[in-house]
Amino acid sequence: MAMGERVLSAPSDDLRRTRLGGLARVLPFLAILVLAMLVPLTGNDYWALIATRAAIYWILVSGLNLIVGFAGQLAIGYVALFAVGSYTASVLAAGNVLPPVPPFAALGVAGVVGALVGVVVGLPALRLRTFYFAMTTLGFATIVTQVALGWQSVTGGGIGLSGPSLPAPFDTAWGLYGLCLGLAAICTWLTANLARSRFGRALVATRDADVAAEASGIAKPALLVSVFLFAGAVAGIAGGLFASLQTYITPDAFTFDLSLLFFIAVLIGGRGSILGPLLGTVLLTLLPEVAASLAAWSTFVYAALLLVIVLVIPGGISSLLDFHNRRKLADNRVILPQLGALTELLATTRPAEGLELEGVVLSFGGVRAIDGLDLSVQPGQVHGLIGPNGSGKTTTLNVISGYFRPQQGRLALGGTNLPAGLPVLRAARGVCRTFQTPRIIGEASVLENVMVGGTITGQASFIEAMLSLPRSLRDERAIRKTARLALRAVGLHGLESVRADRLQHSELRFLEIARGLMLHPALLLLDEPAAGLSAEEIKRLGGLIKAISQQGVGVLLVEHHADLIFDICDQITVLNLGKVLARGTPADIRVHKEVVSAYLGA
Amino acid sequence: MFSSIIASGLAMGAVYALIGITYNTMFATSRVMSFTAGQLGMLGGVFGSLLMLRLGLPLVLALPLTLLMCAMVGVLTEFVAVRPVLKSLDQHLYVLTTLAFALLIQQLTAIEWSTEPQAFPRLLNIGSGVWDEKYWLPVATCAVTITALEFLYHRTLVGRAFLAVAEDNFAARALGLPERTLRVASYALAGAVGALAGFSGGQLLLAFFANGPLLNFYGFIPVALGGLGNNRGAIIGGLALGLFQQAANFTVGGIFSSVAVFILFIVVLLVAPQGLFGAPASRRV
Amino acid sequence: MPISAPEQLLTVEGLHAGYGKVEVLHGVSLHITAGELVALLGPNGAGKTTLLRAVSGLLPWTVGTAHFGDLSLRGTGPREAGRAGLVHVIEGHRVFNHSSVNDNLLLAGFDVPRRERLARVEEALEYFPEIAAKRHQLGGSLSGGQQQMLAVAQGLVRRPRLLMLDEPSAGLSPVLVDRVLSVLTQLRAGGTAVLLVEQLIEKALAVANRVYALAQGRIVLTADANEPNLPHRLEQAYFGQDATTLIDV
Repeated sequence: MAMGERVLSAPSDDLRRTRLGGLARVLPFLAILVLAMLVPLTGNDYWALIATRAAIYWILVSGLNLIVGFAGQLAIGYVALFAVGSYTASVLAAGNVLPPVPPFAALGVAGVVGALVGVVVGLPALRLRTFYFAMTTLGFATIVTQVALGWQSVTGGGIGLSGPSLPAPFDTAWGLYGLCLGLAAICTWLTANLARSRFGRALVATRDADVAAEASGIAKPALLVSVFLFAGAVAGIAGGLFASLQTYITPDAFTFDLSLLFFIAVLIGGRGSILGPLLGTVLLTLLPEVAASLAAWSTFVYAALLLVIVLVIPGGISSLLDFHNRRKLADNRVILPQLGALTELLATTRPAEGLELEGVVLSFGGVRAIDGLDLSVQPGQVHGLIGPNGSGKTTTLNVISGYFRPQQGRLALGGTNLPAGLPVLRAARGVCRTFQTPRIIGEASVLENVMVGGTITGQASFIEAMLSLPRSLRDERAIRKTARLALRAVGLHGLESVRADRLQHSELRFLEIARGLMLHPALLLLDEPAAGLSAEEIKRLGGLIKAISQQGVGVLLVEHHADLIFDICDQITVLNLGKVLARGTPADIRVHKEVVSAYLGA
Repeated sequence: MFSSIIASGLAMGAVYALIGITYNTMFATSRVMSFTAGQLGMLGGVFGSLLMLRLGLPLVLALPLTLLMCAMVGVLTEFVAVRPVLKSLDQHLYVLTTLAFALLIQQLTAIEWSTEPQAFPRLLNIGSGVWDEKYWLPVATCAVTITALEFLYHRTLVGRAFLAVAEDNFAARALGLPERTLRVASYALAGAVGALAGFSGGQLLLAFFANGPLLNFYGFIPVALGGLGNNRGAIIGGLALGLFQQAANFTVGGIFSSVAVFILFIVVLLVAPQGLFGAPASRRV
Repeated sequence: MPISAPEQLLTVEGLHAGYGKVEVLHGVSLHITAGELVALLGPNGAGKTTLLRAVSGLLPWTVGTAHFGDLSLRGTGPREAGRAGLVHVIEGHRVFNHSSVNDNLLLAGFDVPRRERLARVEEALEYFPEIAAKRHQLGGSLSGGQQQMLAVAQGLVRRPRLLMLDEPSAGLSPVLVDRVLSVLTQLRAGGTAVLLVEQLIEKALAVANRVYALAQGRIVLTADANEPNLPHRLEQAYFGQDATTLIDV
């Protein structure tokens, strides 16, 4: 809705394009806002009720959208927070427990309570698999209804209690509508700002590529707690407003059907979109009104819709509206790394730091996957790590990047210890990596994927990003600029705005390297970057890796392609059964009898 | 009071444990936690009441028919909500599809059966007071079910094939085991177990469409306590939950017992995410 | 179906297969005749495992053709392929840890009538007295070598006409490798064809009569196992033509 500010903040390099793009982005929201402002012209109080309800639902869904649509956490019982907000506001305003509180203060407290409860219910999401969180929210919804029914002295039990009555001018149907519409517009603006900031991208990254997000230094717990706080607060406020709208609330008002409406609105709208879920909310609110005969079947219809969406159009409305990504990509595109851009990208000085591993031991069960490994990677060198299957190469990479905690041994970068088993701290220390299977956000653009790698360079807080304050805008400009440079460096600059899941496999490998370069790493870990590449692409990859190392970055390369290894490595370490079999220059290794035996089994 | 806490606690605990086993049975062959577990329990009660009270069938006919109908619902779950999303397990789409399917079942029941709780018949008419059949029937059913399942899993080839598919789906496929058929069979089995939960606990829970979500949640707690896929853990967890809940019910009252159970659930999840008897997490990288 | 000789058992022509967007096999052709013991060699990541999985139906593919006798293998699952006599023992001795040795073997004969199943289990165990002695222990309690034997024995219960083994030597001591490979020689003498994927060239050449080498998803060499200078030619094939400086072994 009120997103005009975005346009003014466009970076100067391609101002016009961004302005047009920004306008196109804002236009649908403005259109909805204008339509919403035209509703009072009907003069029909019934329409005021429906429109107010839609606005209130959207206030809640705007927060839920960040949880479900962006972070991918399946919060299915959000009606519980709505109910908590409703009862908090009503009980406080009615004064049946404490002295009465002014209605707006009661709404504020409802928001605070909603935020706190939202975090408590969200806690399992920080550690556990998806189903547990879904179940927790469902269980919470069940319990809130039971408490509302049972705690008669406070909630009025089945009889209920009256909602807060707001002062003039919000005491009329249209006055309340204006208030709700205003808040809904603010929520839209806040969440749209957040979605387009580094926090929004980080949320989507934890959803679709959580391991890569962790390797980029994104701390999922802190991020999720912020989102749970926000979503809980808006759900609580929405609940309070709902109590005012209803004038009287009973536990019956908060059935699971409503939860389903919220949840499905997000999914119908499409993950990772603001416009889609907004349209979804409006549609689902109107649906039972325009088809009154459906009222009894509404939950059944919602459930059927949910099943159909998941099985048939998993992308929701927003994917249907995404015309840009239906255009065909050129078939004959080639990846042409630009070394000039690479030099510019890695021009900032950073202290040369080498990696040292000493006596690292890691066992799984009784098997020693790594058995007393010493390894040193010098800055500015490409260090090859080779060996037969199961010799411990990728395991070593995972120890260095913190996914495995070795039982013995020491890891150090530039003479300072790297804490074992804490992958999220690696990026800040300048250790970046790629993965054997590229871990990317398929639904985000190529540029956004690369920008994820620069998440931790931002200075602005979560709140600054929501309010789109100058520091956040500066962050965004800087990250975007670096990401464009990184894409040019690896040779993917023509594909910036393409959805990443439309790329070829080889392009994804270069995309991961670009993401890894965003932080100007001291050490770049590459896990089989040549797998699945053509001979020509391997040559370009080799040139790129060599050029990266020449800028002072240490590269540790795990690879099967012997010609690439011998071509570009300065040093090679050969592993066998978790131990170093040999180390030396490519020339040494080529004539090393045991290596040839281990490799060829001769 | 103490004996009624024990009696009702064990009875409810047995029902929760059976729902937990329903979850586990579906999970074992498909790695899917299905929201239909609680609905199967609900249907056990509704079908029982429908067949015996509305249609007047005797127990010997009504019980097998109920089991059969719930088994068919189980199979339908596999076809509609599980098979289409198995290829992308990591996207957790099964949470949505099974939730949607569970709601379809629930709403259809509400519309076609009743939105009010309906009576469930006495089955054997044995016992009174704390020895009333409504208390011991679920416990006995739970004991018989777990014995039968242990026999199935450890004494029959089909049961071992279930375990094999559960342990290593890929290896089982490579060995030529009919993995799909086994999965469908396990969903039918889960349907029958869920039906037993609702049928044996029918006199406590009544035939009520809204029992589904309740059983879904309280039946999941034993699974969270006992560890995914661990039936013995689910029984211990279920009985412990039932006793805890009823004790809290009698001492501090209904509202706070729900809150206490919920807090216990969150604390257990955070302290022992793999359950008290579960296996450690799998590798991510 | 173009059969050049009547005893042609497995015929693969121009097979492309992979995982998702990544194509691993770029048009592989391969033939195995009844009674042969063929070694499929190649460096890490060459696509050997992928090839076996594609052939046995564990990995679906669409481009190319593959036949086992008269049976087209496109869209055929491991169950149907196994019934026809094409049996794949997968890599990593993945037996069922929570089932006994006996149960592991019985599971391999899931489709077979009970009496026949028991007979086949006894027959398979005759090849491996080491694990016959442990038939009531859990699969998980066996050593890696014994698990590999159990995995091969599972394959034998299925009465293969062609047995495909994926790296039976991985993680095994040399003595055990010889033990497992000696069974293959026995099998071949009994008329069972074998396709052996191996990294240990010497061991594989000692038992095989023919060799394919796979590198980067393509067959780069095919030869009789007794041809001279084969290890050297394999190295060249693995490392590409740039690696001519590589030493003689």
